[in-house]
Order: sequence, then C-alpha cells, then structure tokens
Amino acid sequence: MKRSSLAIPLTLVAIVLGFLLTLQMQTQKSVLELEKIQSQRAASVVSFLKDAQEENKIFKERHKELTAQLEGARQEGGASPTLLAELDRYRMMEGTVDVQGQGIMITIDDRQQEHKVVFPLTTDDLLRIINILKLAGAEAISVNGQRIVASTSIVLSGTSTQLVNQVPITRTDGVPYEILASGNQDQLLDYFTNLEAPGLKQYGMSVSVVRKTVTIPSYKGVSPLKEPESR
Amino acid sequence: MELPKNGKMMLTVASLILGMLFVTLIKATGTTGPVARTDTTLASLVQIGQENDQLKNDLAKLQEEMGKFQAGQNASKVVLEQLEKSKRNSGLTKVTGPGIRVTLDDASNRDTSEQDIYYYLIHEEYIRQIVNWLWNGGAEAIAVNGQRIMGNTEIFCSGAFIQINGTRQMPPYVIEAVGDVNYLQSALNFYFWDRLGEYQEQYGITRRLEVPTEPVVIPEGKIQQFRYTEPVKEAK
Repeated sequence: MKRSSLAIPLTLVAIVLGFLLTLQMQTQKSVLELEKIQSQRAASVVSFLKDAQEENKIFKERHKELTAQLEGARQEGGASPTLLAELDRYRMMEGTVDVQGQGIMITIDDRQQEHKVVFPLTTDDLLRIINILKLAGAEAISVNGQRIVASTSIVLSGTSTQLVNQVPITRTDGVPYEILASGNQDQLLDYFTNLEAPGLKQYGMSVSVVRKTVTIPSYKGVSPLKEPESR
Repeated sequence: MELPKNGKMMLTVASLILGMLFVTLIKATGTTGPVARTDTTLASLVQIGQENDQLKNDLAKLQEEMGKFQAGQNASKVVLEQLEKSKRNSGLTKVTGPGIRVTLDDASNRDTSEQDIYYYLIHEEYIRQIVNWLWNGGAEAIAVNGQRIMGNTEIFCSGAFIQINGTRQMPPYVIEAVGDVNYLQSALNFYFWDRLGEYQEQYGITRRLEVPTEPVVIPEGKIQQFRYTEPVKEAK
C-alpha cells in the first residue's frame, strides 16, 4: 500500500523533470542560435558602418577637391573680383560654404553622472541657445557639425533622437553637444554665459565655453526654395 | 507520508536538479547583453548614412557647376547664374506663392492676477516653435510681421515687444509661409499647436490658421555683414 502511494508522486516528479530537461535543452539551443544571429547581425551592422565611414571619408575628400577646383575655375575664368566677393557673401548667408573666424565653442554634457540628477538637453533648449547666439550677432553657427541655416529645423525623431537639418546629431562618444559660433567673441561669450548657461547648469548639465578660432562646415542639404520658373 | 530511505534521496536529488534547471532557464531568458551594443552601432549607421546622402547631393551640385566651366561656358555667366541662385536661397529676393497664414495675439480679457498673466500673452517661443515646424514641413520662405526669416534672424522677447531682425514687433504676430499648403498645415499638427488651442479656449489668446486663396507674398530680407568670418579657401 505504501509503495503504491509513493509511486504516483515519483512518477509525477519524473515527468516534470523530463519535461523541464527537454525544455531546457531546447531553450539552450535557441539561445545559442539567437546569440549567433545577434553576433552575425552586429557584425554585419559593423561592416556596413565601416563601409559608410569609408564612403564618408571619400565624399568629404572629393568635396574639398571639387570646392577648390570650382574656386580656381571661377577665378581663372576671368569673373570680376567684385562679382566673386558678392558670390562669397551670398554663399555665406545661405551657409553653403565652409567658413572660419574668431568665435566661441560651447560644449554641453547632459549625461547622467553619479550623485547628480541631470535633465537631458531638449530640442527647445537647442533652439533657444541658437536664438541667443543669433541675438549676439553670430555670423555662422553649427551644432555637432550641422550648419544652422535659415531653413534649419530641430525636431525629435522617436523619443530621443534629435534631428538637425533632418540628420541625427547623436554622438556615441565624447561630449554629447558641441556648438560652434563665429562672430564677436566678447558679445557671444557674454550673451551665452549670462542668458543661457545658468539655466542649463541648473538642470545639472556641465557647460563650458571657450574662445576659439572656429571652422564651421557648410550646409549640405537642399534649399527648400523652388526655382521661380518651376512654379 | 512515509518514504523508504532511497526514495527520500531520489526525491532530494530530483528536486535539486529541478531547482538548478529552473535557475538556468531563468538566466537564459534574461540574456540581453549584445542587443544594446547593436543599437548604438545602428544609430551611428543611420546618422552617417544621412550625412552621406547630404554629401552626395551637394557633390552633385558642385559637379554640375564644374561641368559648366569644363564645357567652356563663359565663367562670368556661370558665376552670375550661381550668384542669382545663392541670392535667392539666402532670402534676398521676394517670394510669392501658395501658402498659409498663422495669427497669434494676446488675450484681450487679461486677468489681473500676476501669476496667470503668462498664459494670456504670446511668447517668443511660440513663434520660434511654429517657424521651426513650418521649416520642418518644407516651407520655402517664412516671414513674421513682414520680417523675412533669414539665417541670422533672432526672435527674442525683450519685455513689451519681440525683437525680430533687430526690429520691434508687437502683437498680433502674423506668421506667413510659402510652400505646399497641405504639408504646411500638417506640419502644424504637433503638441505645441494643440497647447496653444487649449490656451485659446481657457485664456482667450488668438490662434488662427488661414489658407488664403490669393498668393502669399514673403518680402526679401536684408543683406548680412560679415566682420569676423570668411570663407575657407582650400589650396588647390
């Protein structure tokens, strides 16, 4: 009698054990497969990224070359210097030419640090900072390498990716934000440190401003303005 | 329940194995390590891809201009063409076309209580946000109270007025934009526009969107002076 009452629980335990064993083996197998797929995927993304970076380098090189060639062609072609100076000014206004000059470099770090609550920098903050720099007479501005032009929009894509000129400006390493502005250094420094920096610091961000001779890249997007004849 | 000695042992061993299996199972389901890493790589990939697209597009433009020189066209003529294009793109010519008009105005029935006054007024960021979203919606040209929005235009509140292009602007603020009317209207479908609608109902500010039947005229802006900045000239 005692033996038979023991047989039932033992059988049950054995069944559960067997079931779990198979399940375990299967999960282990699929986990291994998943890991394999993931590492394959990661590897392919990495190789895509490498290709894209390579391409980026070539494009930039080519861009430099062509810009220099064009400059030469314009001058050698006998276009008058006044005309060329005028063209330069318009192109600086539309932001389609790399520029350099005295200015400031602002770096903002909104990454979480130990024992410190940090509110991340928002698109509104960026718009406000750029606005203050314009008020201070900035002649050219860039945010993480994207030139700020009249038609620049700064919006969120998803929950955290910030787009400037439709390009994500997320940085995976280094300080998250680097803003360059050329113009009167004293005025830029004064306006930013007094009007913007205190508010950002209050939100826990690390903010630094330095005087610097800056080189600001050109806008490489399309002008939204259509040709007059196409309308 | 009475168990024989080896039965007890069997049960103990079985339960031990059972426990171990459970633990490994739970651990196995919790592996998410490599996924996070792929995410950041993927983000950089998207970013650099976009940058490359921009570069490709810009290269095509440069190539086109270069082609004109190489084809032996008169240099002055090519430069002049480019000049006209840049002049127009920088906002130095009037633009006329289909578009929309947004009017924002302070509430007339202002409550006297100090803390609430904020909600009865139109602030600089309202205008800045709307301009930002209109650009994002593909606006070709924008003006606020007749001031063309240029590359260096500030929209800054200094007390009683809002400064735009160095001029003092008072409410009502009329934001006009030329562009695809449907895109421009849907560009305004963002949280901020809805919030202004709530302020309109609660506090009586004006938030009006019109699509005029006649063409919208965006005036030209002023030429910019560059005192500290110059183009980078690459040595050939």
